[in-house]
Amino acid sequence: MIELRNVSFRYPNGVLALNDVNLSLGNGVTAVLGPNAAGKTTLLKVLGLIYKPFKGEVIVNGVNFWRLKHENERLRIRREIVYVHEKPLLIKGNVVSNLMYGLLIRGFSKDNAFNTVMAVLRKLGLDYLAFKKSKELSAGEAQLISIIRAIVLNPRYLLIDEPTANLDADKRKLIIKLIKNQLSRGSKVIIATHDNLLADKLANNIVLMEGGKVVSIGGRELLSKLI
Amino acid sequence: MIDPEVIEITLRSLIISLNATLIALTWSMIIAYLIAGSQSKLAHGAISISNALVGLPTVLVGLVFYMLFSRTGPLGIINLLYTPQGIMLGEAVLITPLLISLLYEVFHEHRLRFWELAISLGASSKQAALLVIRESLPQLITSSLIGFARAIGELGVALLIGGNIRGYTRVLTTSIALEVTKGEFEKALSLGLILLTIVLSIVIIVRALRAYLQ
Repeated sequence: MIELRNVSFRYPNGVLALNDVNLSLGNGVTAVLGPNAAGKTTLLKVLGLIYKPFKGEVIVNGVNFWRLKHENERLRIRREIVYVHEKPLLIKGNVVSNLMYGLLIRGFSKDNAFNTVMAVLRKLGLDYLAFKKSKELSAGEAQLISIIRAIVLNPRYLLIDEPTANLDADKRKLIIKLIKNQLSRGSKVIIATHDNLLADKLANNIVLMEGGKVVSIGGRELLSKLI
Repeated sequence: MIDPEVIEITLRSLIISLNATLIALTWSMIIAYLIAGSQSKLAHGAISISNALVGLPTVLVGLVFYMLFSRTGPLGIINLLYTPQGIMLGEAVLITPLLISLLYEVFHEHRLRFWELAISLGASSKQAALLVIRESLPQLITSSLIGFARAIGELGVALLIGGNIRGYTRVLTTSIALEVTKGEFEKALSLGLILLTIVLSIVIIVRALRAYLQ
């Protein structure tokens, strides 16, 4: 369980992006909805333990994360959470090397990591992309690969920022399928999106944000007000 | 037939400047990386100072090091005056602000993106730093070559700290200066041509690297 208690986050330029947020993530898929600059991305990055709030507490599995002193303890918890950026960011090399990165830093051998990612690509029918260079991928392919890169790590919490941005209908369907598969593997998924229809398809928990504040938390009934 | 002394001077210039660049890179990379990852006013101040010192006069650096390394100076005991090692150190300090400024730009851009990516995928701080460096590698090489070009083309440090001793601390720039004072313009020009070739080669490599990156 990830819980935010009275969390506020301010960017170095002084913008207060999160203002006294209290949130507890439930099971299944949580969709964070709201207009531009509502604080959705910042919320995901705070939940993803990338941004340290200047005020408040981030509790992961009962542990106050930012109070942990040792990097090993932090790393152990961090590796349960994977955040996927809104703008897909791939490292140099090809698709396979991108997908292998997270596994290699977790101590997988090269052979093991390679076999794992190839199995995933084959299963998804995307093995034709395996050796394509990162810079040669289309925006949609890059988005897909960045989500698969997170999924191969089988995280306990999967945070995806705008999962269907840049995607055509086929890839959108594939992403939805991937997220549902991940749910069946026991992960909790949190998505930030402008896409209310996607939220309708996937989410069982809704968080509405505006001006850095959580204005409403609830179930699918909240969506009916939006759609 | 090329004069063996010219070959020796050219090789010495290359070795001294290469070592100076490597020495400067070790501390410049660490400083630039730390500044790029810091939001403090001190870090912003440090990069402003570094930018201001990019055009540091070589003679001034040479003079300061001469006073430090001279027998009565505070570092006289380490006997670096009129040695190739002294020139290396002086050139390393000379190109440090340039390298910090260039590397800061590289790290600032890459750190924002790749540090966050690595952390979001579960990397430790060390693994994240390695990814940032790996992704920055072509730009790091470009910056290093620019630093090397500045080091090999400078005169003030090599002359004042090295003393232009034949067969020991004589490098291309000090040699050109000497030949001009002797009225040996032909030899000075040929040495100048070698220096120009080295610097132009670096410019071509830098351009090729940039083109590759784009």
